[in-house]
Amino acid sequence: MSEQKIVTVPEIATIEEIKDEIVDVKTFYLRFDNKEIDGNFKFKSGQFIMCTVFGAGEFAVSLPPSPENDRFHITVRRIGKVTNALHDLEVGDKVGIRGPFGNGFPFEEIKGKNVIYVAGGIGLIPLRSSIVHVLQHRQDFGRILLMYGSRSPQDLMYQYMLEEWQKIEGFETFITVDNGTPEWKGNVGIITTLFDKVEIPVDNTVAFVCGPPVMFNAVIKELMQRGIKDDMIISTLERHMKCGVGKCQHCAIGRTLVCTDGPVYTYRQIKTLGEQI
Amino acid sequence: MYLITKNDVKKIAKALEEKYTLYGPYLDADFGQCFFDKVTSDTVNLNAPIPANPPKHVVFPHLETIMQYKYDKNARKADIAMVFDDTPKALFGLRSCDLTGLQCIDRFFLGQEFVDEVYRHHRSRMFIVANTCVVPFKQCFCVCTDSGPAAQEGYDLNLTDLGDSYLLEVGSPKGKAFIESFTFAPATQEHLKQKQKIVEKSITMFDDIATESKAWVSRVMNRVTTGFIKEEIWEYIGNQCIECGACSYVCPTCTCFNINDANTMSGDTVRLRTWDSCSYEGYSRMAGGHNPRKPIEDRRNKRFFCKLSYSQSKKYLRPGCVGCGRCAWVCPGDIGLPNVVTYIRREIHE
Repeated sequence: MSEQKIVTVPEIATIEEIKDEIVDVKTFYLRFDNKEIDGNFKFKSGQFIMCTVFGAGEFAVSLPPSPENDRFHITVRRIGKVTNALHDLEVGDKVGIRGPFGNGFPFEEIKGKNVIYVAGGIGLIPLRSSIVHVLQHRQDFGRILLMYGSRSPQDLMYQYMLEEWQKIEGFETFITVDNGTPEWKGNVGIITTLFDKVEIPVDNTVAFVCGPPVMFNAVIKELMQRGIKDDMIISTLERHMKCGVGKCQHCAIGRTLVCTDGPVYTYRQIKTLGEQI
Repeated sequence: MYLITKNDVKKIAKALEEKYTLYGPYLDADFGQCFFDKVTSDTVNLNAPIPANPPKHVVFPHLETIMQYKYDKNARKADIAMVFDDTPKALFGLRSCDLTGLQCIDRFFLGQEFVDEVYRHHRSRMFIVANTCVVPFKQCFCVCTDSGPAAQEGYDLNLTDLGDSYLLEVGSPKGKAFIESFTFAPATQEHLKQKQKIVEKSITMFDDIATESKAWVSRVMNRVTTGFIKEEIWEYIGNQCIECGACSYVCPTCTCFNINDANTMSGDTVRLRTWDSCSYEGYSRMAGGHNPRKPIEDRRNKRFFCKLSYSQSKKYLRPGCVGCGRCAWVCPGDIGLPNVVTYIRREIHE
């Protein structure tokens, strides 16, 4: 374990910038007040942190930045008591950070493989870290695809990044929305409709899937039908968490705890854990 | 090993009382019930029946402040301080099931990748005096879970009622140092044999007295671990559950907790840790309302998986059940652990 891991007392961080992403989703760029930690906060892509909003509570949130050369930030949807309080904060306000916790994406094991990202809605946030990392190490991977769907064009996450990504050569991006608007020129239809239009690689391929449960199950079905094996489908799970270090047991699925054994699982693991997504 | 009188037992309690906050079993006259809580050397009652509650609240209180902070919104400054309780505490007259339960919690909170600092402080200055059960109670099944009727380890001192006197065994250097200030008569091997006889007799009495509960735990552990249990069994168990959470409340090894921040009038915020139960619907519900473990049978399944599977036993280094029988005692739905074991066994035989 690295000594930078903050387990008990949250480290104070300042909100340096707030960016509106889509309705009810904001990105908070953070900097640790403690200079020693600021430069040394090392995490792996796919890990998560516990973020304290003073006076409201603590919530678990995935880390969207790449571990290398990326600004430290979290992207949060306004959904519960604590995230509501976070959204009410302004630039200069303080939050508390504990972490990083969890296992992270298995980049070593997937080297040399084709990579498919399938994301739905704000499911793109936890995958962003992995996408940026893979693009930074383009030479280590085969084909890279992104299939991304959301409810409407306004609900597309990271629109500025999507535009950039579409320009990157060798990064195949496919975007669809459930309900189009007159201005929308792209695909219309749920994410599984993309599978009919895209020729996806099957051999030597790993798929990252993240999104709401309905979308997740439908995508898994499509991927399996095309012959991608269950241990080559990787997802990151979301659970109710309180401690982040395997003590409160709220995130237990079967014999594993999402906070210490997860949050990144293969679909083979998820299947045997026997609980719904 | 010493042979002491009943009066000496009181002397030990008195001496402990001076240095430690004394916790022990006492008879509550209003309820006619025995509880385990703060006592004095006068009220502690070693002959009282098994307490209705285990001693886990001493090291893991129902509600405790684990952190305190003040956030000055204008100055944008936050002062955070952890709150630890390391007052010396003595558990007096702990029965072997509860002692085993305490060891389970120790291994869980202290023995894994992350050490729970709040718990460690609670536990750091603790003195334990165990008490051998010479007679079982009707809901007991500690012989099925290998946690009684006499404590094997984990105590500083152990008392056994030999009839007209007590056998005092020393289990740790701390216990040895404590006993040095007394002049007790040493006990012989004869007395130890006498104790063994009493323990054996106690075990044989389970057949006649402890008729309410029997749990063939080892028989079902394999099934629970591998998951080869029919859905109907869990459904049946789930349908019996009324989600009161009493089983978790009285269980010596249940340690799930919830954390909440509460604002106080003084402007400080306290981070509170409270007991939680996996039988509650909100236990796994996430912000936004999605609940991956909504059906009650899924939640019940989780509790018995936690107590009876190999994978969970790894963290306790033994089964998660210590055979105190309290869950069977309090459960309004008649699905205490022994009954669940029976249901699963019945299925195996069919």
